[in-house]
Amino acid sequence: MPDPILAARGLVVELGGRRRLFRSIPAVRAVDGVDLAVAPGETFGIVGESGCGKTTLARTLLGLQREAAGEILLEGRVVSGQEPVAARRMRAAVQYVHQDPGAALDPWWRVGRTLAEGLAIHGVTDRAEQEARIAETLAAVGLDAAMAARYPHELSGGQQRRIGLARILLLRPKVVILDEPTAGLDLSVQAAVLRLLRDLRARFGLTYFFISHDLSVVRRVCDRVAVMYLGRIVEEGSAEALFREPRHPYTRALLAAAPRLDGQAAGPSLPGDPPSLRAVPSGCRFHPRCAMAVPLCAAQDPASEAAAPDHIVACHRWRDVPTEHRDAA
Amino acid sequence: MNDSPMPSPLLAVEALSVHLRTDAGLARILDDVSLTVPPGRTVGVVGESGCGKTTLMRAILGILPRSAFVPRGAIRFEGRDILADRAASARGRIGFVPQDPYLSLNPVFRAGDQILEIMRRHAPGTRRDHRAKLIELFRAVQLPDPEAALEKYPHQFSGGQRQRLLIAAALSCDPALVVADEPTTALDVTTQREILALLRRLAAERGLSLLFVTHDFGVLAALCDSVTVLYAGRVAESGPTRAVLDDPRHPYTRLLLACHPDRASDLTGIPGTVPAATAQPAGCRFHPRCPIARADCANAPPPLLSLPGGRSIACPHHADALPEPALA
Repeated sequence: MPDPILAARGLVVELGGRRRLFRSIPAVRAVDGVDLAVAPGETFGIVGESGCGKTTLARTLLGLQREAAGEILLEGRVVSGQEPVAARRMRAAVQYVHQDPGAALDPWWRVGRTLAEGLAIHGVTDRAEQEARIAETLAAVGLDAAMAARYPHELSGGQQRRIGLARILLLRPKVVILDEPTAGLDLSVQAAVLRLLRDLRARFGLTYFFISHDLSVVRRVCDRVAVMYLGRIVEEGSAEALFREPRHPYTRALLAAAPRLDGQAAGPSLPGDPPSLRAVPSGCRFHPRCAMAVPLCAAQDPASEAAAPDHIVACHRWRDVPTEHRDAA
Repeated sequence: MNDSPMPSPLLAVEALSVHLRTDAGLARILDDVSLTVPPGRTVGVVGESGCGKTTLMRAILGILPRSAFVPRGAIRFEGRDILADRAASARGRIGFVPQDPYLSLNPVFRAGDQILEIMRRHAPGTRRDHRAKLIELFRAVQLPDPEAALEKYPHQFSGGQRQRLLIAAALSCDPALVVADEPTTALDVTTQREILALLRRLAAERGLSLLFVTHDFGVLAALCDSVTVLYAGRVAESGPTRAVLDDPRHPYTRLLLACHPDRASDLTGIPGTVPAATAQPAGCRFHPRCPIARADCANAPPPLLSLPGGRSIACPHHADALPEPALA
């Protein structure tokens, strides 16, 4: 693998935690010891249930959330350990596309003004240059330059996504964090947006950090995928290998739960809601829901092991997980 | 729908049109839509935003907005026209499971009290009967500790549990039909799977019919016996779910399914956009986007053709092959 463009080592993020006069609220570890390495030009997917920490991880990589421990490296440089404002400045090459592009646009501002604001913040104040770059970027996301004169409510869901993308592309990022980029889109619009993302990645040499709960989409567009459970990465590998041969029982349950076009329910379902970060189980965090759990799982936290080259799994019993289980869809 | 294979459907939507007066002119939200829900079956309505599936659902529930009117058509439920006789629809015989479990419960009242309020309005019996029945329902939807659940506020439940509460609410007045509006889109896949399994089991145990409105073909495949595909307020295609998913015939259904990430060989999308309801194209509403459209497609709306196997297709040219790039 080439040198990662974005990497994290032993990343820990704590949320909440306040000390009051009579009652202190302990912090929860939303991200608890995450290692990852995103190669330049790849699409790196993060999947997991609500509350697993995937959005917190993204916010920390972006610099909006400060890490409690661990290191973040951007193009080989350590960019962690900074106050949020300084952290964001050091990570200007990392940009974020909001999950709900409509909510991320000011309803009272024309789209063009919103786009120009981002440029101004990043030091492009010349009006003519702003307009030229906006027109160029709108064309790149497949929108007419006249769109700059519209208000957000005049745009369809797909157009709003394109504006959301245009807004960060203007800033010439290297790494783009896409938070649920297709949530709430119709199938035909989703296909067009995914195709656009692929084209933009090639054209601008982007690297994507792709957060999604839609496993069909992740399988389709990601090169590598990490599966998160309660603040930990429990499995990571190439999308192809991970979907074809999931090693962790949680990954298997997650894949089995996704509704499939062929209507076949694959494998047993996963009982229970994800446990709370306020009561993290001992040992392997997944063991209370795991059909394969043995006493060791409750006692000892499993280390990450390489199940295959470039395929990492954190499970005491991964060797016993049947592998023939899931065929190609 | 003409020759339905099932006798005496529980719900029959017959050539229903729903129009809306707007500032931009007459919005033809639904036109000539027919579908049937036989007793004990699960029927899906699928389509993209703007296809009219929400309006269809609202018409069935009797909660159309004031500006809407029905120029033609009827909705028969247990044999009675519930559009003409509004009182007939409001007896709790149709339950409703809303889309968003986070928005559908009032946060300042106990969840149990909110459901008891529905029962007080619509179900016979005393408050004590209602409580006993609700505890039994909570058990049926597998809420942990049903008795304690009565005393809890909505925020004390997880998303999946709230959806179970809402399913219990939908069942609280002994409905024959439950209308569900994408009840799992706000949930994680693992929770979604549990909720779908629950709905399937409850429908089987109680002999319920389900009308399931969704845009997710995977959910459709998991739950529905038959499906009606809507496009721009008209039926494009209907039939048994497996047949429609495995062998879609209408060009719209074929292109839409080709957009599914499980199936697409390349992600293309469908050129153009769904027309505004105030500017529906003449003839077949899909023809401006259709790769196999001919001159006659713009003349008159194509009739629903009946095909073997209980299928109907609103496209006279459905046997034509789609050009390769469209499906590539």
